[in-house]
Amino acid sequence: MSFLELIQESFPLLMMGMGLTLELSVVALLMAMLIGLGSCLLNISKNRVFHAVSQGYINIIRGTPLLVQAFFIYFGVTQAIGMRMPAFTAGVIALSLNAGAYLSEVFRGGIQAVSAGQMEAARSLGMPYRTAMLRIILPQALRVAIPSIVNQCCITIKDTSIISVIGLAELTMRGQQIIARTYRSFEVWILVGVLYFIIIYAVTKLSQVMEKRLSLANKGGDQEPS
Amino acid sequence: MPIKVEIRNLHKHFGKNEVLRGMSLDVSEGEVICLIGPSGSGKSTFLRCINSLEQPTQGTVTVDGHLITDKHANLDKIRESIGMVFQQFNLFPHLSVLKNITIAPIQTRYMNKEDAEKNALKLLARVGLLEKKDAYPANLSGGQQQRVAIARALAMGPALMLFDEPTSALDPEMVGDVLEVMRELANDGMTMIIVTHEMGFAREVADRVIFIDEGLVVEQGPPSEVFGNPQNPRTISFLNKVL
Repeated sequence: MSFLELIQESFPLLMMGMGLTLELSVVALLMAMLIGLGSCLLNISKNRVFHAVSQGYINIIRGTPLLVQAFFIYFGVTQAIGMRMPAFTAGVIALSLNAGAYLSEVFRGGIQAVSAGQMEAARSLGMPYRTAMLRIILPQALRVAIPSIVNQCCITIKDTSIISVIGLAELTMRGQQIIARTYRSFEVWILVGVLYFIIIYAVTKLSQVMEKRLSLANKGGDQEPS
Repeated sequence: MPIKVEIRNLHKHFGKNEVLRGMSLDVSEGEVICLIGPSGSGKSTFLRCINSLEQPTQGTVTVDGHLITDKHANLDKIRESIGMVFQQFNLFPHLSVLKNITIAPIQTRYMNKEDAEKNALKLLARVGLLEKKDAYPANLSGGQQQRVAIARALAMGPALMLFDEPTSALDPEMVGDVLEVMRELANDGMTMIIVTHEMGFAREVADRVIFIDEGLVVEQGPPSEVFGNPQNPRTISFLNKVL
């Protein structure tokens, strides 16, 4: 079988795998954003209990491998509660909890990069904390954090490959299946790698456009004051 | 004139550092007060206690009859009637000049969008920056930013304005425009408390000048007295250095 024939034959399976990888990434990342933002707001709260909950969560996730987290959720938790869980659900939970912890810190960094004077100005105008956070601080913080958010997105998209261990037929698992049939390790892993690369490259390009559009530089930040 | 601000025995510690050591002050409606004193004397901390940006360690602040140092005070509501202008302007960089001014009235439901915008345009005209309404803060000079910041503070219809060294971060040629806006505000009868190093401005505009050192009111009176005939040796030594 020539390389071209190999591509032709494995294409449908690889595309199915890539589809699942994308689906897993998108759902997990959307949830991770919400979890991360929530955790970050708890973390910077003056309430010690809130802070401790968030910090504990971050410490646990950062301190353990994603592989262990995925096993724990898919096998451990399901055994403890005596209920089966679809692999996709377990995968989304593991990935979103994992990325959420890192994003929490990314958001916190963004918020702390916004000068304290911004919150003071907003509060001194009578805006409640929530309004000030939502309308004044977060829009600036997210702009600062875009490069790190994109970074985490790339990492999480690639981490979906780890989720293959709980039996999800995503891109990496499809690669293994094809190799099991064809014994063409060298070519198939290149193909799988190229597909991951294409996804990440697209995300990077997309984020560059987004960053440019949201940049404060378009709002005069790069011009000399008149 | 009725009392607008009543401050009693204000103490503020940052750790072991005692910044305010029992300051009291009454401000009447329409009065313009300038706080002067060496850096580190507690002027800014004192000002920031008035709208509760700093929580005093001890003492009370009453603004318009509302006890702002009360634990259960509705700070957001009270702050709506206290405008504040900062040394570093603190304009919102992601919002246009117009939106900088309208966001607080709209978000706090003080005004609807239409009224807030009408009012903002009026205020921008008042500070002489109507043509900059669609610009972003980064496109403005420091002096222009500070005038927008004053308009933003006025948008909530405050009964009291606090100024924390409003001209200290400005290039010298920008200072005049900002002081001019403040002078007009004072002439319109606004109650103002101003921390400043502009002694000429204090002498001209203030009804009362208060000299603060080491967290205490050392000397106060009409500018003619404090500047013309200071009594306390610390006031004399400070004025000798800055005048």
